[in-house]
Amino acid sequence: MNVLRHNLLRQAVRVSSPRIVTPVRTFSRTHIRHEAPSEPHFSEPKPIPESPSFYTTRAVYYDQLSQLEKTISSADYFLRKNHLLPLPDFARASLPELHPMWKDPSEMASEFKTKMTMTRYRRVTHCLNQINDFQRIAQVGGCPELAQKLQDILSMYESSKKEAYLNKGKRRIATLDEYGRSYTLGKRKTSSARVWMIPVKTTTTDPSPESLLGVEGKQRFPVTPSTILVNNLSLHEFFRFPQDREKITRPLKVAGVLGKYNVFAIVRGGGTTGQSGALAHGIAKGIVAHEPALETMFRRAKLTRRDPRMVERKKTGLAKARKRYTWVKR
Amino acid sequence: MSLLTVVSRAGPSVRRNLLGQAMTESVRWKSDDAQVSQPGYITKRKGKDVQTKRRKPFPQFRPLGAGQLKDEVYQVVQAPKLPEFHKTVAKSDNLVGQPVEWNPTETDPLRIFGLPKNLLLEFRLLSKPYSVIRQVTKDALETLNKAGISPSSNDRWVLTGKPGSGKSFLLLQTVEHAIQNGWAVIYIPRGVDLVNSTTNYAYDIRTQIYVQSTFSFQTLQRMSTVNKAIFENITLQKEIVLEKQTIPAGTNLVQAIEVAIQERKKSGSVASSPAILDAVMRALDTQTDVPVLLAVDQFQALYGKTSYRDQHFVPIHSFHLSMPRLIMEYASGKRSFARGAVIGAISAAQSTNPLPIELRDALELDKLDTRVITEYDKRNKTMIGYTQGLKKFDVPEKLTLEEAIGVFEIWKGVKAFGGDNTFYDETFLGKYTESGGNPREFVWNGLLSNFAP
Repeated sequence: MNVLRHNLLRQAVRVSSPRIVTPVRTFSRTHIRHEAPSEPHFSEPKPIPESPSFYTTRAVYYDQLSQLEKTISSADYFLRKNHLLPLPDFARASLPELHPMWKDPSEMASEFKTKMTMTRYRRVTHCLNQINDFQRIAQVGGCPELAQKLQDILSMYESSKKEAYLNKGKRRIATLDEYGRSYTLGKRKTSSARVWMIPVKTTTTDPSPESLLGVEGKQRFPVTPSTILVNNLSLHEFFRFPQDREKITRPLKVAGVLGKYNVFAIVRGGGTTGQSGALAHGIAKGIVAHEPALETMFRRAKLTRRDPRMVERKKTGLAKARKRYTWVKR
Repeated sequence: MSLLTVVSRAGPSVRRNLLGQAMTESVRWKSDDAQVSQPGYITKRKGKDVQTKRRKPFPQFRPLGAGQLKDEVYQVVQAPKLPEFHKTVAKSDNLVGQPVEWNPTETDPLRIFGLPKNLLLEFRLLSKPYSVIRQVTKDALETLNKAGISPSSNDRWVLTGKPGSGKSFLLLQTVEHAIQNGWAVIYIPRGVDLVNSTTNYAYDIRTQIYVQSTFSFQTLQRMSTVNKAIFENITLQKEIVLEKQTIPAGTNLVQAIEVAIQERKKSGSVASSPAILDAVMRALDTQTDVPVLLAVDQFQALYGKTSYRDQHFVPIHSFHLSMPRLIMEYASGKRSFARGAVIGAISAAQSTNPLPIELRDALELDKLDTRVITEYDKRNKTMIGYTQGLKKFDVPEKLTLEEAIGVFEIWKGVKAFGGDNTFYDETFLGKYTESGGNPREFVWNGLLSNFAP
């Protein structure tokens, strides 16, 4: 009876005005009542979701965001309790500068499992900047544990390209590889030189009878000569002019390491002067890589300076870069 | 300067002359304070003891006495005191890197036979022949000592090596060592002179080759001077039949060579020299008393193209010229001294006489020559025959540190470079590194081309 009525009502309702919104629940309830009681849904209560954002489309995002906001509030409370907030202007100005570099939207998208629109990204970075600020204050203000905890949170959101970005303008420090070789690049005019330098192996000779008896007269220090190979030719074969050769050995002389390193170089481009200058530049950088203490001295001697002089362009109206055409009076 | 200007100015008027010295107007006037004599005014004259300002006397330059020449430029350079080459070599202890000097006698080969151009220049700069004993010197002298017993056909060496590695110097050292040890030495310092058409030549019907009479004469004369004592004890086995006379068998070599010298003195003719030279060489072949060293520098010139041409303007091969042929016969073993050796040294300095293909093949010098030579390149069969049995004696390009120190000490001793403020150890190591140990580069493009103070 009920079913019929129900059905009739349904039909009547359907025909008359399809726009009338009938509460689905009534139907579902009534429908369910007449179904077999094998469905387990309503026999047990639903499990409570772990996070309040469970039913949102972007659960991870809202979760993390709420975590960040909670961090902000707790840090704020802690700092206020320790009288570190609010900071007067002079104290804020004296804080060290920090350059945060957060992950870009594409990187964060994978983290938050959602497309990071500008609004969402700004919300996140706004929170991160605030935490960053608190972290600075905590560090300088003498709360190392809080500072560390905040730093741990922030490090999750820091971009992997941070190192590269910060070192953008700085010179790359040459390091030694597993065999103790340095690889440096030198340039001059349009030439480039790739230089590998390795310390000369000093063979330990057997002690002489004099040294064993302790009656050595003159103490002889073993002298090892450096070998310089350029494009697999020895230096005197490749550079015929003495001034080119002297230019190349000048960094070694200034550093006082004439017999200490063997040099292998591949030079390319330009002419003899350019190539010799490039090689000298590369050797200077190589020496600095092996002996970092000489860096200041080399900088002052302008040995590690890349000579910026290049061939000047020809200008219109002039025969060459500077040469003018013959002046004609009439 | 007019009167008016003098009057109008307050102080004495000053004029500057060409020397830039200020001259007062007192050139015209007797004193600065001279009053203008105007009519009506009585001027007081100053005393006669007034000193008039005169022009400064131009300084006279007088030469300094010898005792006053204190500058470094005037100091006489004391030649470094170094041990003699012969005495040092005679010692058996380790003397690698020891710089030595030569005190050549009147009949020394390097005086009489001459020197290659680069060595001559070097000795002129050094003002005395100096040298360094290298490890390769010891090896070469050892080889030479062993070669003194056997025929020269067993010991035909060619000193090879990269340009500037010291081949000519080594050859000179062997020549000096040989002459000191009683060898008979024939040293030809400039092999290019045999083939560059600087000496006369004439076709000889009997031998069917072109004889170089003047060079033969010069060689005879020099041989006689250097090896006089040895040649006096060697006699001709066969008589020499010349155009105008016959030199009988049994005459010693000095007398035989004297015949050629007298002929040239009297008539200026050197026509008999080639025949006498040939006979002298044959006499040296057979004798066993004394080992003979035939040393030729610029050896590659003998095996290449000559500048000589015949009457049809066809180039003459070197084996058709008497002197190169003679040397090549000994070098190839076709003729041989009973005791002795043949040593040649190739040189890369002669661009007109590069290393010939046949010699390059015989000595396996592919690495020295950058030219691409294939099996299809033409080789002269006769020339190949003259290169048979030549052995390579490699001179290392790199000086060891001890040897380089010896070279450095010589040039430093004659004060060819450096001064009071020079760091000699830095100069040495710097130049050694730059030159890569090559002797010529080390001395000429290193020590003597030093830009640094």
